[in-house]
Amino acid sequence: MPVLEGKELRIVAFLCNWCSYGGADTAGVARATQPTDLRIIRVPCSGRIDPLFILRALLNGADGVLVSGCHPNDCHYSAGNFYARRRLEVLKQFLPILGIDDRRFEYTWVSASEGARWQQVVTNFTARIHELGPAPRLEDAEPLLEMAEMALKPLRPLGTGQKAPLDELKNAIKARIKDLDVVIGWQKGDDDAHTIPLFMRSEEDVDRLVWGPFNVNNPATYVNELIGSALPLAKKKKIGLVVKGCDSKSVVELLQEKLIDKENIVLFALPCEGTFDMARIDRELGRYLKIDKVEYDEAGVTITADGKEHRFCIADYAQGKCYNCSMPLAKNADESFGDMPQITGTPVTPPELAMLDAMTLEQRFSFWKGEMDRCLRCYACRNACPMCVCRDYCIADTREPHFISQEWSVREKIYFQCIHAMHLAGRCTLCGECQRACPVGIPILALRQQIARVISQLFDNYQCGMDPEATPPLLCYQVNEEHIKQREL
Amino acid sequence: MRIGVFVCHCGSNIAGTVDCKAAAESALSLPDVVYATDLMYSCAEPGQAAIEKAIHDYALTGVVVASCSPRMHEPTFRRTVERAGLNRYMFEMANIREHVSWIGKDKVANTNKACELIAMAVAKLRNDRPLHSQSFDVTKKVLIIGGGIAGIQAALDCADGGIPVILVEREPTIGGKMAKLDKTFPTVDCSACILGPKMVDVAQHPNITLYACSEVEDITGYVGNFDVTIRKKTTYVDWDKCTGCGACTEKCPSKNVPDRFNENVGLTTAINIPFPQAIPKRASINPDYCRKLTTGKCGICAKICPTKAIDYERKDELINVKVGSVIAATGYDLMDWTVYEEYGGGRYPDVITSLQYERLLNASGPTGGHIKRPSDGKEPKRIVFIQCVGSRDKSIGRPLCSGFCCMYTAKQAVLTKDHIPDSQSYVFYMDIRAAGKLYDEFTRRAVEEYGTEYIRGRVSKIYPDGNGQLIVCGSDTLLGQRVEVPCDLVVLAVGINASKGASHLAEKLRISYDQYGFFLEGHPKLRPVETNTAGVFLAGVCQGTKDIPSSVAQGSAAAAKVLSLFARDKLENDPQIAHVNAARCVACGKCIRCCPFGAIREEEFRGQLKAKVIDTVCQGCGLCTATCPQGAIQLSHATDNEILAEVNQLCQF
Repeated sequence: MPVLEGKELRIVAFLCNWCSYGGADTAGVARATQPTDLRIIRVPCSGRIDPLFILRALLNGADGVLVSGCHPNDCHYSAGNFYARRRLEVLKQFLPILGIDDRRFEYTWVSASEGARWQQVVTNFTARIHELGPAPRLEDAEPLLEMAEMALKPLRPLGTGQKAPLDELKNAIKARIKDLDVVIGWQKGDDDAHTIPLFMRSEEDVDRLVWGPFNVNNPATYVNELIGSALPLAKKKKIGLVVKGCDSKSVVELLQEKLIDKENIVLFALPCEGTFDMARIDRELGRYLKIDKVEYDEAGVTITADGKEHRFCIADYAQGKCYNCSMPLAKNADESFGDMPQITGTPVTPPELAMLDAMTLEQRFSFWKGEMDRCLRCYACRNACPMCVCRDYCIADTREPHFISQEWSVREKIYFQCIHAMHLAGRCTLCGECQRACPVGIPILALRQQIARVISQLFDNYQCGMDPEATPPLLCYQVNEEHIKQREL
Repeated sequence: MRIGVFVCHCGSNIAGTVDCKAAAESALSLPDVVYATDLMYSCAEPGQAAIEKAIHDYALTGVVVASCSPRMHEPTFRRTVERAGLNRYMFEMANIREHVSWIGKDKVANTNKACELIAMAVAKLRNDRPLHSQSFDVTKKVLIIGGGIAGIQAALDCADGGIPVILVEREPTIGGKMAKLDKTFPTVDCSACILGPKMVDVAQHPNITLYACSEVEDITGYVGNFDVTIRKKTTYVDWDKCTGCGACTEKCPSKNVPDRFNENVGLTTAINIPFPQAIPKRASINPDYCRKLTTGKCGICAKICPTKAIDYERKDELINVKVGSVIAATGYDLMDWTVYEEYGGGRYPDVITSLQYERLLNASGPTGGHIKRPSDGKEPKRIVFIQCVGSRDKSIGRPLCSGFCCMYTAKQAVLTKDHIPDSQSYVFYMDIRAAGKLYDEFTRRAVEEYGTEYIRGRVSKIYPDGNGQLIVCGSDTLLGQRVEVPCDLVVLAVGINASKGASHLAEKLRISYDQYGFFLEGHPKLRPVETNTAGVFLAGVCQGTKDIPSSVAQGSAAAAKVLSLFARDKLENDPQIAHVNAARCVACGKCIRCCPFGAIREEEFRGQLKAKVIDTVCQGCGLCTATCPQGAIQLSHATDNEILAEVNQLCQF
């Protein structure tokens, strides 16, 4: 739709019916002159506003988005705006990582009697957007490709895990496997340098279990399909899961969200000494026909491919998450062997996120344009995610609701990543499976890392996947939010 | 779909700054729009008839009206399209008056904006689905919160209409502020004489259950079926046994208790009955001053009580009632005038509020109706009244006019002269607002017959002269000179706030309130008694400043609203509620966790757990829809697709 060329910018407002829409009416009745840019979408409550509506508007070319609801404590539905405040604040702090100026989005509170205040809000927000000028368009952005330096200093010595008490673990599994429908772990894949999931149903199966730095994938991904809340009650199984520390967080999160029952799952744990970033290893190996052998030592592995030796030190080739890992051994396991390694130092900004942090907004926008252009829309990121419990009912695959189109464009690809990130807000344990599964190596984990950082800053260092009794921060609220600062408009 | 678009001129209200004809023409290019026209007044009868005719002639299946706010006329037009055979929810409004024509004069920009708002409405309408209400039973019982004159009037009218009434009063007696007044303007008839019989009626009416010393603890539910928890605060006296004989109050040894009913002028006993005409006439113990309760030693009242009604162990009681409607009539309290340092900030005993003065005038007050000033009990001869103390004062953030102070100040000046014929009253005022029936005549009498001296101006300072008198310094803006008035007593016409705790009650009732705590009505002119929460009505000063006749009128109006609501045996729910698409639900329970009304529960559906919305409990906020990651729970008429359609219409790269 043609905007009045040069005069108006595209500003979308979401207003709750009871307070702010009434406030806008009051301003109108009082003939309170306002800029004409703003277009109001009436919703019942600010709590009705899905942050994805706002992202949709911004990605579709809105120059500014404003949300206004009832003042805290005055919500017509008693608590809608409290939930909205948390979700909208997370969204606001998420935007810069996409390269969108967070000043283009604001939320505020206007009551039905505050016509003058509404006039002021519209005037100020419109002035702010005009000052920022038209929002950058994806079409105009110059694609930028940049790689993060992934290796960091680990919080504990990394290793190859070959001294882990694997046999004790196997015995423990064998002792309990009769009572379980299946126990999931890892087995050798096509060659010694890769593993694939192992579904153990008998004692013989257990002997195929392996432990080491190639156990990269997160077995919790399968949990929901076997014991998830959506299953027919009669079909729920009892399963066992062999977990690294990071994998166990996914299970804790699923327990916390009551998506699975504790009585349906048994956790077997060994201390993890780090896992390989297979993308970097494969890049290093280049094209090969056959892995001849893999030799382990304490500091890494030597892979012989087509007769040529390649040395991979774990300290240089671990997954990004392993450097920051402070929980190598699951804390809540039913059967746990080996000791929790000593953790020294505190986690630093993950490398993908640090790379984006160092960029300007414009560069980030260009970065995502360049990276997401390569996305195949294969949805491997989603399928590998242990927290993506919607599975066949993902909103990316439906027209009811129709959030995302099938259009082959960077816009839709980024929007899908936004959907995934927002749906994981306050739930993502940063297991990194999305990024690991990405066949074209887009550092999409950075989006989740940004949200996790925001959540932690806003909600008292909340870390997902630590406490099965905690309430997810976006499913609750506090009347007085200590860390959410209200901005004046 | 066949959509018709009607662009309203609203006389010149819209057409003055929007090209309505062009807007209608532009709508014709929108998908599914088969008919578009402009109308002079679409809400008027010819306008509505034109819409109905177009629905028929063009076989329309959906209608967009671009006119005023949907908060104004959405119900009107929904009825219109329903009369023409459409489902009432196959209708959308574009607000091109309050949000366009009234807020700017640029006709080009306005017309462009109007076209876009119409396009958004069409986009939403294309995603709308017909919705159908369900009917449910009504509990024909009303809860009235507050037993002042507005609440009393509402209670009596409802009860006379055959509706059982639960009347909850925070204080030990009903009567509210009016019970504290001596006389009432402009007729100067005795407040107790006209209020008393109504209070007795409340006590005796078979349809009224009175809970005094009680507060509303919690309210859940919805129109027709509210569940209310009432906290009956303990008075340490079994009111079923107490006869109000007063023997306990005579013997109580704790006699230096501030008398709340008398606005803390004068003292009372720890066990007391607020005033002789109290309803219910029952004793209650002030636990802060009762010797038995504070020191454990005393118990005289329990010994003396002829009916053995006193029980020091008595606890608060919680009472649950079901009602179909609620009337809030919680009245007002005075603002804290001690912020005014220039008036002494509360340090001078002879600077009192008008409500305290009212008690000094009253025959059942602490001085038996003889005006005696608090400091030394002397009869004051020169009295200064100061108006607008905490009213119309932006410097302390209170621009509101408290409404009735001009009148009662005139009344108090008149009464002062009646009580003390050789007295002289002075009134410092800003303007005299006497707009009611016989009001201006009354203020004239105060000046002309009673010789009250009105001084137009503000007071800058009050200070004691050291000889028992106060000096009031101010300016006379009519004469343009400074004045100093020595006097014996200063009476402040203190501005009002909504009563203490009104905002908490508003949150329980899910209604809005303004900065003073006054409850927000549905519409400032056309729905002054309703609130935006169905089934909750307002009466009296809790909605805004009012004098007694207006409070009584609104009490009756609220009762009429309740009676008309209860005239139906069944109510229809609003079908704009959430629905679960069971096929998409993965039973994650996030909606259940955050629903503010507990309107969603988990149910087994073909062997699987699924979320299920309880239709009558859902209020339609849509928090669940925004929470559900897979979009399985959708709020009807505000579905994801409907909102996304509007977003996509507006933002097309």
